[in-house]
Amino acid sequence: MTRVLAFARSRATSWEWLLGAFAVVLIVVASITTLGFADGYNIESSISRMAAKALFVLPLVFLIIAREIDISVASVAGLAGITYGLVVQAGGPHLVALATAIITGALCGTLNGFLVAVLRLPSLVVTLGSLALFRGLCYVLVGGTPISPLPDELIGFAYGSLGDTYIPLTIVPFLVLAPIAAIVLHRTAFGRRVYAIGGNPDAARYAGVATRRIVFQLFVVSGAVAALAGVIQIGITSSASPDSALGFELDAITVVFLGGVSFLGGKGKISGVIWALIVVIAVRSMLQLQNLGAYGQAAVVGAILIVSLLLANLGIRLSTARAARRARALTLPSGGKTATPHNQPTQSKEIHNA
Amino acid sequence: MDEKAPRTMTAQAPAVEVTHLSKVFGPTIAVSDVSFELHTGEVLALVGENGAGKSTCVKMLAGLYAPDAGEIRVAGDTVAFANPMAAHERGVAVVHQHPGLFADISAAENIFAGQPLRTRAGLLDHRRMAAEAQRLLDLLGLQRSARTLAGDLRVSEQQIVEIARALAADAKVLILDEPTAALTATEVDRLFGVIDTLRTQGVAMMFVGHRLEEIFRVSDRITVLRDGALVDTVDTRSVSEEDVVRLMVGRSIGSLYDRAPATHGDVVIETRGLTARGKFSDITLTVRAGEVVGMAGLVGSGRTEVARALFGVERPDSGAILLDGSEVTVKSPARAIELGIAYVSEDRRGQSVVEDFSILDNASLPTIEKTTRWGIIRRKAEIALVAGPLERMRLKFHDYLQPIRTLSGGNQQKVVLAKWLATNPRVLILDEPTQGIDIQAKAEVHRIIGELAAQGIAILMISSDMPELLGACDRVYVMSQGVVAAELAGDEITQFNVGLAATRALGDDAQKPAADDAQPERSSSTAPPPAPRRTAIDALRRVLRRRETGLLIALALIIVPLSLINTNFYSLGNLKDLADYSALLGLVGIGQMLVILTRNIDLSVASTLGLSAYFAASTMRALPDAPVVAGIGVALITGLVCGLLNGAVVAYGRVPSIVVTLGTLALYRGALSIVSSGDRVKPEDVSDAWLAWTKNEILGISPVVLVAVGVAVVVGLVLFLTQRGRETYYSGSNPEGADLIGIPVQRRVLGAFAVSGLLAGATGALWASYYPYVDGQVAVGLETSVIAAVVVGGVALRGGSGTVVGVAFGTLGLLAIRKVLTIAGVPDQYLQAVYGAAIIVAVSVDVYLTTRAKRREVTR
Repeated sequence: MTRVLAFARSRATSWEWLLGAFAVVLIVVASITTLGFADGYNIESSISRMAAKALFVLPLVFLIIAREIDISVASVAGLAGITYGLVVQAGGPHLVALATAIITGALCGTLNGFLVAVLRLPSLVVTLGSLALFRGLCYVLVGGTPISPLPDELIGFAYGSLGDTYIPLTIVPFLVLAPIAAIVLHRTAFGRRVYAIGGNPDAARYAGVATRRIVFQLFVVSGAVAALAGVIQIGITSSASPDSALGFELDAITVVFLGGVSFLGGKGKISGVIWALIVVIAVRSMLQLQNLGAYGQAAVVGAILIVSLLLANLGIRLSTARAARRARALTLPSGGKTATPHNQPTQSKEIHNA
Repeated sequence: MDEKAPRTMTAQAPAVEVTHLSKVFGPTIAVSDVSFELHTGEVLALVGENGAGKSTCVKMLAGLYAPDAGEIRVAGDTVAFANPMAAHERGVAVVHQHPGLFADISAAENIFAGQPLRTRAGLLDHRRMAAEAQRLLDLLGLQRSARTLAGDLRVSEQQIVEIARALAADAKVLILDEPTAALTATEVDRLFGVIDTLRTQGVAMMFVGHRLEEIFRVSDRITVLRDGALVDTVDTRSVSEEDVVRLMVGRSIGSLYDRAPATHGDVVIETRGLTARGKFSDITLTVRAGEVVGMAGLVGSGRTEVARALFGVERPDSGAILLDGSEVTVKSPARAIELGIAYVSEDRRGQSVVEDFSILDNASLPTIEKTTRWGIIRRKAEIALVAGPLERMRLKFHDYLQPIRTLSGGNQQKVVLAKWLATNPRVLILDEPTQGIDIQAKAEVHRIIGELAAQGIAILMISSDMPELLGACDRVYVMSQGVVAAELAGDEITQFNVGLAATRALGDDAQKPAADDAQPERSSSTAPPPAPRRTAIDALRRVLRRRETGLLIALALIIVPLSLINTNFYSLGNLKDLADYSALLGLVGIGQMLVILTRNIDLSVASTLGLSAYFAASTMRALPDAPVVAGIGVALITGLVCGLLNGAVVAYGRVPSIVVTLGTLALYRGALSIVSSGDRVKPEDVSDAWLAWTKNEILGISPVVLVAVGVAVVVGLVLFLTQRGRETYYSGSNPEGADLIGIPVQRRVLGAFAVSGLLAGATGALWASYYPYVDGQVAVGLETSVIAAVVVGGVALRGGSGTVVGVAFGTLGLLAIRKVLTIAGVPDQYLQAVYGAAIIVAVSVDVYLTTRAKRREVTR
């Protein structure tokens, strides 16, 4: 039995392990084959280009584990960036603008959270609607013209590096928040409850978990973090434009699913998502070096998304088949007489990592 | 019920014969070596305690499970049903406990969903189906119009529709799986009348049930199962109820329970006049410290609802809950746990256990906060908290981190009990605590309950298990139709008294307050007056009730005043422009509707459109002499390929469509960007014929509009008149139900995506000709307006409901608003906000309407 357990545990970590190995191989191969890939400047700009998207990923992991999703993050970021720009335009200092932007993002998240947790609308549809709504508001607020210049504090931050390294300052918020997210998700009561909600929402509720409150909070945090990402993004582009961060949700969602978070909820780890992030950064960097345009790069990311979904599904099917085989092999005449029709769906929810 | 039809036996082969049937699930043997036969014109009752293997037998007969051993013979032929449809084809029909009907579809269509009636032309004959369905419903005594949507029927009425479905399929063998569980006494009588009719018609029936009184009324023979094995098959007339109980239980009642009479303390929990409308009313009960109080009653009598109210899952409308004599408000389970109330749900898999979690994580879930230091969970503290309770359960396990799904049902239940003991409850509510666990584990659970009571915990135990109630309880409340029908103590607790009280109120609906509360309300809100069915007023009401009508009125209210602000709106050019753009968007919208009908969504339509448009235009540029058809063909093929890829990944990869099509949105647009790489097809690059084909008006109507109207008519007719079309609705309305009657859901999903792609391709062809410049940016972001138009048009995102007319209205309405705003000088980019808001509002309204309809439907 202990061997079975060890096996199960190794399997649970194997997707992260595989992905990590893949990321390392990818980087090594790219460094050798792609000219300029290992160049310090390239590393810095590649990471910086993903800085905003990386931030979206963290709250998304929580939401998707809790069986929800927020596809409006990029629009929230856009709107927050615009708010920042408007405050600056009105003569407000950097910090006030930043605070306003984050509050705006949190308010956007509150709207999503209210519609999902209080009115109980499906989050996919709600955030699809608010994706359009928030982006439309960007245009309503500034028309088509970007706001610039932006304060030196922001520009300096957006172009700075961490000491003498090639680590851009823009990724530092992520580097700070990722370990916090990992600890909250994996080590605190809150995180345990998030997994419980995704694993079985009813059981969680009956165990005293305030499921709707937690989902609401997750949306608010998602909005606030997206807003931070939005401000970073306008710093990188040096202007608050209404189409800032447009389409960024694709990368964030791809990273989450590639990272092994189950689309059925209840499963996933921050570590896997970090590896997935590294893979996507490397892939984008290679494509960039080959002068592939933004749409072309997005096409590749879209393909990665579909492949990771199919792989996840393959994993579920394999583990279901294995469970069925194991069940048939065991013919102990003991145990409960449960033969509910719910057998199949729940079993098929078993293990996502293949 | 005295004159049962004579049984025709021996001469011909039995309608169904099963021999040595076995079925194993994981570590449990659900059915082992069961044999019985079912003859034409008889009713065989299949009885047994919960978990005796009844439903597994039913599912094997229904083609849902394949037997691991043994044979099933139908009319003498050995059969192996691959799926429910195969069983259906052999004339074996099952009426399930929870009807698998399509809520958004009329009763008549539901009845014929599997095998529709057709006209000579091969199209669906809705008129004949409606008439035939009405005849069947009348025959079965259901006084509802066959046009009523199944979702508007009560559960009991849905069950009648299921029986009608079996009759329509000309079933020779009818299996009724606990058909009376949700029925009132009158409805049960009616059902039994139907069963008698069918018996004389030579239908072989199997009646699976719990209520012995009904079994004795309806059956000719009784087959008893216990712990998955056959005990005996007996002639109903030659046995007594006690005999059957003895066969079911396999032991004399009471031997499992040897609890010393305990001394009881003060009243711990008490309710006074607790009422939740439509669920239960005027519940007054008390539980003392150390007392085990049973709560008996049939399923649906309101027992579980009372427990949920005590635990804060449901809010009572009036009355009070008192803990230690002082009134408390239990507004959530979290609050209940704080107050020292624990609730072990009846639904272990659904509400008690997180299957992916380990034993430890499950056991510590309600108390996890107590194990943290500085917010971090400490494993040692976690183990310390639950080790005691787990030990008390005498649970055998290897590792706290073992996943709970590796345990048997009984052991899982022990973990659940331990979980609740760790919360240090003063009141423990147990809802069917031994349901579905084996006899040994059952005895263990009873031992634990006894110990806990001895410790001074107040225990309220809901149970349908008669021996359990008789053996383990100090007092028993019997609930019936939402009220406490009797309170029994000591020697009064007998099977007879409990059974009497549980069923007594059923006979006279009107006398009981709960019935007064609940029933008239249900019937007044859902049942139309039993007046003539097809009057003009009725027809008008139906028109008014249609979603499209409401939509039209709502849109008119918005557009008319807005358009009056600037009368430019009504200029001919403007209206033509509006019509053309609506046609383009509407075409894509129709495809989108098909996808949404199947409970999916296609975000990639705009990218597909763009790709098709560019391919068409660049083909026409490369081959200036090619006929117009060449460009159209290229666009159609491109669209179809894109749609098929979406559909294949969603349907066969079984992954969420919104995420998949978010990926293909980027993929198709990226492909277009790579292929076009900044290139733009200009009007002077292509032939005049290509530019002209969408502009040469035919009888003063733009070809674009003609195409859109043509497609709308064809799609509308196909959806209404062909089986394939109807199945698209069924697949989204209730995928599991569709599966049960053999509808190829995956193929329908693939088909919907393919047509969606094809129509996006067609729109691409129109676009490439209609607009002078075609490049990589064609229709970027158009998916938002398409989805908004479709959703505003009343197509429900939960699937199964929506019409082409609705899409047309939605598209026209949304674009009219856009036009008005554009004339008023609002830039186009702002409109995204309008579309986004439209999606959210439309979905909110839809969910509001559905929940309101559900709230009316209080049965359950």
